[in-house]
Amino acid sequence: MESVNKLGRILLVEDDPKDVELTLTALEEYNLANEVIVARDGEEALEYLYSRGKFKTRSSGNPAVMLLDLKLPKVDGLEVLKQVKSEEKLRMIPIVVLTSSKEEKDMVASYKLGVSAYVVKPVDFHEFVNAIKELGVFWAVINEPPPGSVRK
Amino acid sequence: MAQPKLQLRIAQSPVLRYGLAVLSVSVALGGALLIERLQLRNITLFLFAIAVAAWYGGTGAAVLALLLSCISFAYFFVEPSHTLYISRSDIPYFILFALFAWLVSKFSSVRRRVEAELLAERTQQRSLLNLTHDSIFVRDMDFIISYWNLGAQELYGWAPEDAIGKHSRQLLQTVFPAPLEDVHAELLRTGRWEGELKRTTAQGTTVVVAARYALRRDEQARPVAILETSNDITERKRREREIEGLNEELAKRSMELEAINKELEAFAYSVSHDLRAPLRHMAGYTELLQKKASSTLDEKCSHYILMTLESAKRMGNLIDDLLAFSRIGRAETQKTLFSLTQLVREALTEVRDDTGGRNIAWKIGALPDFYGDRSMLRLVLVNLISNAIKFTRTRPQAEIEIGCADGNSSDLVVFVRDNGVGFDMKYVNKLFGVFQRLHDSDAFEGTGIGLATVQRIIHRHGGKVWAEGVVDSGATFYFSAPKT
Repeated sequence: MESVNKLGRILLVEDDPKDVELTLTALEEYNLANEVIVARDGEEALEYLYSRGKFKTRSSGNPAVMLLDLKLPKVDGLEVLKQVKSEEKLRMIPIVVLTSSKEEKDMVASYKLGVSAYVVKPVDFHEFVNAIKELGVFWAVINEPPPGSVRK
Repeated sequence: MAQPKLQLRIAQSPVLRYGLAVLSVSVALGGALLIERLQLRNITLFLFAIAVAAWYGGTGAAVLALLLSCISFAYFFVEPSHTLYISRSDIPYFILFALFAWLVSKFSSVRRRVEAELLAERTQQRSLLNLTHDSIFVRDMDFIISYWNLGAQELYGWAPEDAIGKHSRQLLQTVFPAPLEDVHAELLRTGRWEGELKRTTAQGTTVVVAARYALRRDEQARPVAILETSNDITERKRREREIEGLNEELAKRSMELEAINKELEAFAYSVSHDLRAPLRHMAGYTELLQKKASSTLDEKCSHYILMTLESAKRMGNLIDDLLAFSRIGRAETQKTLFSLTQLVREALTEVRDDTGGRNIAWKIGALPDFYGDRSMLRLVLVNLISNAIKFTRTRPQAEIEIGCADGNSSDLVVFVRDNGVGFDMKYVNKLFGVFQRLHDSDAFEGTGIGLATVQRIIHRHGGKVWAEGVVDSGATFYFSAPKT
């Protein structure tokens, strides 16, 4: 894909290794996987965003998009959302909630906290791959991220 | 009750009252001095006789006493004595007799009339008071009972002759809800008191009565008696206690129910999250396997993989439908009045894709306005219509009719009729159950939750659902709902 050159960095926050694997596989299929950082829980996600803990020495810049699961160990997705949206430096990062839950209250809470999109992971793998691909292409390639985002 | 014609009132002002005494004695003194001065004959005893006759004997007696007094006076005291001759100067005496007789008999008749009126009034009052179901008695400030009606006899068991003269508190063993001083203080301040009293009847049973006290004062505004009206509320109190108990029980149950609902919600949430994830992984990895190994797999293995994927997909649909179904049970209904015709039109647009260009003859009758949750009712219509579309699939010419049937005056009835494959009435009670299906999934796909959803929504609207069908001749699904 030609767009590889200006691919935005994706922060994938997902605790389930299988979901991580399947998501990465889906992204790989469209050559979108080379700039994906995986955080396994809410705390790791925040560590990455604030460049602390195991991400202390990471290269600077915000991700072009954060794909965020809601049900996470330690700090859950909604809490991560709350913190990011209340932080001046981070609040502009586009956040896509990527979750198994179709529950209305999760959806309402997420939108209230200012998410850019809410995607329910389809059970069907085809649809899942399509969804991930479209998300990757849109947010990492098509969308013009806010200033301060890393784009190769 | 008629007002007494003459009101015997005592003047309110002390000046008037005591002035009257001073004035009348002064007049009497003047009269006595006048009699003394004129050296008139003593006629006091005659006047006294006339007064006694008039007061106790009435007008006739007064006239007779007057005549006899006149004759006796003329015969014995008027010169010349022992004759009935009277001189001109004696005439004032006879006029005085006559005036006095007239005055006293007038007073007497007024008194009689007033007495009769009072008596009639009292009799009427007592007999009226005996008509009421309430128990009424009067006691003085020392608790001594002076009146006791039939209601009191019926409630407490004592006849008036047993109760009158007795100490009411001791007789009835009254238990007050507040200290007696407070009750009396309120009574003296406002003239009224009401409250619930516990009492013991002549038979020894305890009764609870709702009592109302009214204070009676005399002309000098001193409290003299208390009129007590009461009625038996023993049974009512018992029921109240019973209802209280039931209410407590109900509150406990509804708390339990709320807890169960919360658990159910948590369960649904966990189903939504935790069951879907492994399912997605199974489908995902299987599909990856299918992709990677497709060239090396034989037909059988490919078939197995296909079946695995199909099952995963079906389970995903089942979970989604089940969650949607549980959400309907939990969601608040937001009721508005809307046009069913418009909603049917929307539902038809939504299911148009399912018709796949088939030849369907639609017959949409006149539909009324509906009072209910619009989005839920839309789901009802979509479910019923897509069912009709699905089960007429085998018909070369499908006919689907949506209309309003004759309901009773308070409910409206809507039906969706098709000429599809129908069903055996023997299984009609299975139609609306969760995951119940009357056709195998090869012939007609579905999770078996559509009609259960319809039923749940209609039940939440206070209506009913039912169906009629004949195998191979179509089916009609009805739902009813209150008009307002």
